[in-house]
Amino acid sequence: MNYGLETRMARLFNRHGDGRAVCVAADHGYMSDVTPNVVKLRPITEAVISGGVDGILMSPGQSIRLAPLFQGREGPALIVRADWMNMPRLGSSNVTNAVPQRHLFHQKVLNAEQALQLGATAITIYLFLGYDDDVEAAGIASCAQFAQECRRVGLPCIMEPLAVGGHVTGTNVVDILTLGARICVELGADALKIPYTGDVDSFARIMQVSQVPVLVLGGARSDNERDALELFAEGLEAGCHGCLMGRNVTKSPNPEQLIRQLGLVAHQGYSVDEALRGQKWDHLRLKAAPTRCTGCNLCVTACVAAHGTHTFGTHLPRLHIDPVALGQHKVFFCTLCKKCIDICPTQALRWHADTGAVELIPEACTACEKCVDVCPTKVVMKGPAPAGSSLPWVPAICDLCGAGPQEDTRGGYLQEGSQGFPACVKICPTVAIYSDERVKIS
Amino acid sequence: MDGLTYRLNEWIRPTDHRSLLVDSSAGLALGTLPGLEDYAHGTRAILPLIDGLVCSPGQIRRLVPVPGSKALVNTRSNAALLVRMDWTNTLRGTDFVLPPAAPRRLPILTPQDALDLGATGMVASFYLGYEEEIEAACLKSTVQWALAGKTLGLPLLIEVCPSGPRVMLPDKAVELGASYAFEGGADVIVVPRAGRKTLETLAAFLSVPWLVKASSPEAAAPELEEALACGASGIWLDHRIFSAANPAASLQSLSERLHVPLAA
Repeated sequence: MNYGLETRMARLFNRHGDGRAVCVAADHGYMSDVTPNVVKLRPITEAVISGGVDGILMSPGQSIRLAPLFQGREGPALIVRADWMNMPRLGSSNVTNAVPQRHLFHQKVLNAEQALQLGATAITIYLFLGYDDDVEAAGIASCAQFAQECRRVGLPCIMEPLAVGGHVTGTNVVDILTLGARICVELGADALKIPYTGDVDSFARIMQVSQVPVLVLGGARSDNERDALELFAEGLEAGCHGCLMGRNVTKSPNPEQLIRQLGLVAHQGYSVDEALRGQKWDHLRLKAAPTRCTGCNLCVTACVAAHGTHTFGTHLPRLHIDPVALGQHKVFFCTLCKKCIDICPTQALRWHADTGAVELIPEACTACEKCVDVCPTKVVMKGPAPAGSSLPWVPAICDLCGAGPQEDTRGGYLQEGSQGFPACVKICPTVAIYSDERVKIS
Repeated sequence: MDGLTYRLNEWIRPTDHRSLLVDSSAGLALGTLPGLEDYAHGTRAILPLIDGLVCSPGQIRRLVPVPGSKALVNTRSNAALLVRMDWTNTLRGTDFVLPPAAPRRLPILTPQDALDLGATGMVASFYLGYEEEIEAACLKSTVQWALAGKTLGLPLLIEVCPSGPRVMLPDKAVELGASYAFEGGADVIVVPRAGRKTLETLAAFLSVPWLVKASSPEAAAPELEEALACGASGIWLDHRIFSAANPAASLQSLSERLHVPLAA
């Protein structure tokens, strides 16, 4: 048994005892432009470590400079970038490209023993597929050499097959990644880092043929952090063992929070919504299938009846149906987006611990109207103030009515043991509104 | 008995000097192979039926016995594990997802690496009919690996591959490749199926065990009979055996035809 290899693999993938790792790629300054995330590498590194990151990928130089941050039992695993390439600088179309490169250059810059001396828990190297035969052959030779060097010193070798170059098209990119993953495994990779293919099925196929732990890459930077979480959640659903997020984390306005959220998804089994909320709930969320909506407005009247004077009508509903074209309707209800909670200056809105809906604390409300204005679906209404209140009105917000477990009699749209159906869900004759965010309508 | 002979006896049976080998290393160039999506599962059933299994460097680590491992492979009753020493893109056709524009071949292991991986033999291809540089590199590797193998006690098997576009006389190319491999120091040689005259020529000058590559899993049985009749030591099947209807049954049948039953 290669004890060094086993120990280091466990240090990277088993810090939480679940075989998963949330890692950050912070080696961009080594290969691409000097962007703010490169300039602020130290504070970003400190932030992601505070967020509980399991491993950080760094260049050899930064591995030396930031070595103290990796020390101690709670320190993250250091993954050292053992090769270098100029791919991000190829071409002149990129206006930020200071010195455009004419052809791909990829080279090994340190050996496994040197990486070990830097304190590495693992190294990572590229395998380029899609350029010409010489580039591929050189990559194969480099990967084969690293695999044997790493095995000798007990250092995990993480290979990264990349489908780039003139031979890659939109139709063959997944096949090339699948090929690259398996070639890396055949060469002796201990783990892989692979770009997400865009759908769970094709990524699951790569997991199936890989047979070693796989880290999914974050890809291009998205302004919406939900995208990174959803990509990771889909990767996990496909069977990957963690992520290696680069710019989505290092360019995030709050890298610590994003790492914490990724950790909740990886290690605590949180859904993306739960991770964004920072809390794991076991209750409902309304979902819509607009194509099923006939615009009958029964949901609106049921909502009023459930919250008002026990009479049917359309006054102060917590949802509304808008016609968008002949025979087409759009359903608007509370999506639990949290914007009203965030904007409330007096913290009069919060999550209800039992139902998971937005809850109003009437005593704290000042009727400032901000929650009404900010609601993207316009379902926060001006409702009647409670008796004795000096306020002219208080927000009327969906409370996901229909508490208590009920039997699912509607074809499996609600998981057993969860909260009962809200009134709108109960009454909808076409299941255009339903209550389980996980189960999709076929 | 020296180390090399000891290891050779692990996959060329000393009782009859015959061998049934299966090559599962093509994934190095072709990626996932049909029937080998889960490598350990795909190979486990055939390990007791064959004498040697050729693995890629990455996959041999999944099969070599590891103390304390649940996936222990008993090498006494299972096939010996041989490791592929080189990589090539010549296995890829024009319909492959990344069709090669030019043939490439390169060494990916050293003999010491092979020994460290737990292999009982090194396997490399000798390409003929491509660029002169490839042929020259194959010859150099053969000599160097054979010499290192003698020192380390690790036998070298050379698979003769006259598959390039410049091969004019296929049978003569087989003879040439076998001669180069033999002169270079190979301990075992595998040749593609050739005419009877060529096989008899090989038998005349090869003083090391030599095996014939089956042209397909289905044709393996008659080709084995022919090869044995010409003096070959056995047969070699490529990865296509894993996508056959019942690989275990086919190999069981071949093994029974190949090996001389021990006297009761």
